[in-house]
Amino acid sequence: MSDANPTDRTDRIHLTAGIDPGASSVKIAILKSRAGEAGEMVATTIQRIRRRDVREVVRSAFADACTSAGVTTDDFDYIASTGDGDAVDFGTGHFYSMTTHARGALFLVPEARAGLDVGAMHARAITFDGRGKVGKVRMTSQCASGSGQFVENITRYLGVPLEDVGNLSLESEEPEKCSSICAVLAETDVINMVSRGVKTADILRGIHLSIASKLARLVRAIGAQETVLVTGGMACDAGFLASLRECIDEKQSAEQPDLAVVAHPESILAGAIGAALLGARRHRQLEEMGRLPVIAA
Amino acid sequence: MKCVVGIDLGSTTTKALLLTEDGEVLGRGITNSRSSYDVACAVAREEALTAARFAMLEHQLATSFHHDAGRTGNGNGTGGGSGDVNGSRPLETLLQEAFRLELYLDQLGHLRERIGELVESPQHEEWRNALEPAVAEILDGAKSHAPELFLGDAPRKSDFFRDLAGAAFVEGAETIAERGDAPFERLLALYDRAILDVETNLETRSFADLLRRATERIGEGTPGNGNGHLGTDDLARLRRVVDTVAAEPIDELAFVGTGYGRQTLPFPKESIRSEILCHGRGAHRFFPGTRTVLDIGGQDTKAIQVDEHGVVTSFQMNDRCAAGSGRYLGYLADELSLGLHELGPLALQATRKVRVNSTCTVFAGAELRERLALGEKREDILAGLHRAMMLRAMSLLARSGGIENEFTFTGGVCKNPMATKVLRELVDDNYGEAITMNIHPDSIYMGAMGAALFALEDLDAGTAGLLPTFVQEGGTTEAAQEVRA
Repeated sequence: MSDANPTDRTDRIHLTAGIDPGASSVKIAILKSRAGEAGEMVATTIQRIRRRDVREVVRSAFADACTSAGVTTDDFDYIASTGDGDAVDFGTGHFYSMTTHARGALFLVPEARAGLDVGAMHARAITFDGRGKVGKVRMTSQCASGSGQFVENITRYLGVPLEDVGNLSLESEEPEKCSSICAVLAETDVINMVSRGVKTADILRGIHLSIASKLARLVRAIGAQETVLVTGGMACDAGFLASLRECIDEKQSAEQPDLAVVAHPESILAGAIGAALLGARRHRQLEEMGRLPVIAA
Repeated sequence: MKCVVGIDLGSTTTKALLLTEDGEVLGRGITNSRSSYDVACAVAREEALTAARFAMLEHQLATSFHHDAGRTGNGNGTGGGSGDVNGSRPLETLLQEAFRLELYLDQLGHLRERIGELVESPQHEEWRNALEPAVAEILDGAKSHAPELFLGDAPRKSDFFRDLAGAAFVEGAETIAERGDAPFERLLALYDRAILDVETNLETRSFADLLRRATERIGEGTPGNGNGHLGTDDLARLRRVVDTVAAEPIDELAFVGTGYGRQTLPFPKESIRSEILCHGRGAHRFFPGTRTVLDIGGQDTKAIQVDEHGVVTSFQMNDRCAAGSGRYLGYLADELSLGLHELGPLALQATRKVRVNSTCTVFAGAELRERLALGEKREDILAGLHRAMMLRAMSLLARSGGIENEFTFTGGVCKNPMATKVLRELVDDNYGEAITMNIHPDSIYMGAMGAALFALEDLDAGTAGLLPTFVQEGGTTEAAQEVRA
């Protein structure tokens, strides 16, 4: 894709949406931007999928987002999907999650040069430059041991609401390391811990540390520098972030001094934001080529 | 009546088996394992005792009601008469169903109490006004639908309270969340917390009380629930039988425990035997010709080679991964909101086996969801998942030295007809059709059976250990104390 000079002819304001269906929730961001630059958030929605049909969740979440933005489908210049694009059966185009997460990360934290996206199923570490061009990539594979689903399974067993997990984990004084690596078998480990009288906070922190140590290796493998932005659902989890910082500090090396691990309150929306911004840029490119897309809704 | 008890505390379920002094099975009980091992063992034992009493009851009913014309209905127009009860379904079955219902309602009451306490805690203050009516609505619904779960041969997703109440709760919470009355996650967290407390708090229930309530329920007879009316004479006679059976003492003379995490089991250490020993012993009792054992339990898959004396010669086990274990199926069943025992029969209806790419259990669950969204049939995907699982078992077997005749399949998964079918096909393909494959309906109790056989041996040798902690607080019977003295 040709990288046109973004300062050219960007006087027009684009209204675009990014839809990011993940394994456990659908994230939507509606932005105003000048062809993907100088973006401004108009409305956002996050809906849990649970056991519903993803397509329906996408439609209902999109309707919610439009309502809170006070716009209709016709007002959009571009509706972009990312992530599980098959779940979006309307809209204009699709962008790969790596590029959208990089673009979204830069929007949220301009000094970020690496992203760690920790979703329900997979985790992925990427490096990128100041314009969002992706450099190195590493993913967890084969198994869900370093994923958000892992945490969710455990919290259900402990009877802790997901939103309380992070702060509870921070209260831990003696984290109980989890011996099992498998996200499913860890439940049995947790049952054992509960039966031994281990505190809930210590169990949660142990799980966080177990995931974090796996993901810290991922971050190191891509040679991340300076600022790493955590995106995805786990970015909302303060206990996980603290654990990740702890593990990354332990693994600090000469090539990667003082890596700063940051999260943004809107981290979970990084993919959706990136998609909306890239959609605006794509719109302008197509406009120039005289091949404007039609939004099918 | 005197017996010995074998308990197999597994990662997923806890099994108890009672043997008479002559080595006959008196009763079996199973429950889900939970974070209190004492309670899991106590509940499994209680279930086994209940089963033993129902066996007695059946015997007694057969003798008291057998020569009675009323059993097939006397048609004298007393509002249905006892014929409705006895016409096609045995009285013992009706009682058993009503008993289960009473037990469930009792547990539901405890759950309600606990949730009520939780809602009052400061952590829920912000949502209290929304949560209170929501919880009441959900639990009222669960209560009013309870009879449908238990009475009249109704298919149930599970026999465990956690699963049944959980399914009812999730369903109710979804309806409420859909209406926007209260957030789903908050409601679910309440249930998750409460069930943990309810499950690990051992309730002392009287078998006699529950059975009497069940008797009265049958007596009242609620048309539409699968129950009819019982004539006054029949009811009086039934009450007498019930009282006799409830009062019959069952003395447990010796206990042996086995299962995973042996160090933490609530048994005195002289009463603990290794899982492999117990499974070997149990399998040997049923199939003396066994040379290869495949045991697929909740979280372990074991391939065991034994010699002609049942001594283990080689052994392989899955490690650190749930793929291919019983939990794999459990996870998939949860994804589909199905009961574990519904999976196999559903998969059997497949017309083709979808190739599944994921190894990880969590990913397989996600793949299942994706394929469903793409319009693949549930049964076809499930067939593929079963095949993927059994392929893992085959590779484990190969690593342990292959399959020698006879081949015995044990553990919870052998209750799944699709798993056994796929295994048979794979064995035929890889080892030829000459291999005898043994599966016993009690295969899930193989470990508990082995443990009970060891308990019997200890009893005969006069080395029966102390009673495990979960029995000590409860009523220790005099006979048992004598034996230990």
